[in-house]
Amino acid sequence: MSDLALGYLSFPVLLILIFLRAPIGLAMLLCGIGGLWLATDGTTVFMARLKSEVFTTFSNYNLSIIPMFLLMGQFATLSGMSQALFNAAQSWLGHRKGGMAMASVGACAGFGAICGSSLATAATMSRVALPELRKCGYSGGFSTATLAAGGTLGILIPPSVILVIYAILTEQNIAKLFAAAFIPGLLAALGYMLTVAVYVRLYPDQAGTHPRLAYAQRFRALVPVWPVLLVFALVVGGIYNGWFTPTEGAAVGAMGTGLIALLSGSLNWAVFRNSILQTATGTGMIFFIVLGAGFYNGFLALTQVPQELSAWVTGQGFSPWIVLILILTFYLILGCLMDSLSMILLTIPIFWPVVSTLDFGMTTEEVAIWFGILVLIVVEVGLITPPVGMNLFIINTMDKNTPITATYKAVLFFVGSDIVRVVILLMFPIITLVFI
Amino acid sequence: MAHKLITGLARLMALLGGFVLCLLVALVSVSIIGREVNGLAHNGYLGSFGDWLVARGVGPVTGDYELIEAGVAFAIFAFLPLTQLTGSHATVDVFTSGLGARPNSIIAAFWSIVMAVMILLITWRLFAGLQDKMRYGETTFLIQFPVWWAYAACFAAALVASIISLYCAIMRLTGARAK
Repeated sequence: MSDLALGYLSFPVLLILIFLRAPIGLAMLLCGIGGLWLATDGTTVFMARLKSEVFTTFSNYNLSIIPMFLLMGQFATLSGMSQALFNAAQSWLGHRKGGMAMASVGACAGFGAICGSSLATAATMSRVALPELRKCGYSGGFSTATLAAGGTLGILIPPSVILVIYAILTEQNIAKLFAAAFIPGLLAALGYMLTVAVYVRLYPDQAGTHPRLAYAQRFRALVPVWPVLLVFALVVGGIYNGWFTPTEGAAVGAMGTGLIALLSGSLNWAVFRNSILQTATGTGMIFFIVLGAGFYNGFLALTQVPQELSAWVTGQGFSPWIVLILILTFYLILGCLMDSLSMILLTIPIFWPVVSTLDFGMTTEEVAIWFGILVLIVVEVGLITPPVGMNLFIINTMDKNTPITATYKAVLFFVGSDIVRVVILLMFPIITLVFI
Repeated sequence: MAHKLITGLARLMALLGGFVLCLLVALVSVSIIGREVNGLAHNGYLGSFGDWLVARGVGPVTGDYELIEAGVAFAIFAFLPLTQLTGSHATVDVFTSGLGARPNSIIAAFWSIVMAVMILLITWRLFAGLQDKMRYGETTFLIQFPVWWAYAACFAAALVASIISLYCAIMRLTGARAK
């Protein structure tokens, strides 16, 4: 069998393993090692690579940003900032129609600015906002759907773990990707608020109200939020302005949120221990996938599959827009089944060579950044798409009284808002590229 | 009893890794402050106080990159046992969730055996890598510490990961048979 045929054959094999519930990292590692074995007619190559590649993957300086961002997010959940953000947003928006739900979205956006993970944002904000929403007469399905959608802002608004992985895979500048994600992230928050406004007009019985607060009280509620702004400005601003490397920025962020947690008095030994253990399992999971993807992509590169595939797509003379839309649709569908990080690690090494040869009238760097933000959004839609969106499950476990079908129904409005945003960003690349 | 011991071991490794990670966070923060103060002093913003600081050696920590690389590698190896024990690896279970309890426990047992074999392979190859690094006496660029030290720390963590993954495989296997 030719190497190329072997490379193509590995796709269905890998998918079958994954669908048979193999841990995704393990499945990629098996396909990578098995593929190298067959393609090089022996065990020498992969046995030699295993000697150093596991260590070099785990000790990669650029990747070391990931455990630090996860630690930062864990400390952020303890810092009491979720409550402060929600109080501030609620005091300004709570009295409006659907205002409490809008406030939840706003608070999620604020929390997303110091946390790079969607699940952590959804879980932390739900703990604070769900009881308040229910108390004010918001329906269970609407409340949980709002928080599930709001949670995705954790990863859309920088810092973002997924963007770090994307940047490394496509050899792009992390700082520029963070800057590019900023406006689309704000658009996402505004879009969700708009969705809330539409929803409460269609189903007015599902939302309650909150008394209007005086302006003095509103401004007072803003005060406790300043540490969030400080940490965000220091981390994202510092990385963007080149004061420090992204890894150093993540360390500064972990230090900052850690100090806030310490000062808020919630950081005792049991809590600290728990956040370390959470960071540990999160990091272990991510790096095992990164390891598997490294071997699998090494094998694919050997078989020339990515080059052949992109040459084939170019040779067909498809419209670049059609190719791009097909890829994004593929992500939307796959995102309903697979977690976003695995999807990025698995597909970007194959899709990016294809997309980089397409002519959109932009430089390669601009295309890389624009494509990265679009992919980031569509994979995150997978987190809130029924039936298996992870955010939906996380929040469902926190509100036992709401059947998950009620969440499914309401969350479709937010999925709709995501799709509208993708179309807007597709049509106007300048929105994403304005800071580049 | 055995389960308690194994859980304790996995948590201990994860906490060790987390401790190293926190140390690195502190190291980076100190290094950045040192670098900024040093920069300000060199540009004369701090006057004679700045000269005094520079003379005392205030500046970025030498070799912070190397320490981060070695430390994070150890931390991640140390995180693997707990990841394995708690079943935190990412999977896709939509297609198998309808199969019922027994097929699913067989599937889980099968993959935990494959995982154990893979972790053992990684540990063995890491040891071979460690021997290479010792033989060639490779050191890091700036602070010249032997690379095999980092390999040895990672190997110790990988050994624990091997023990834990073997334990998981045995537990799953006996559990699958019991059902």
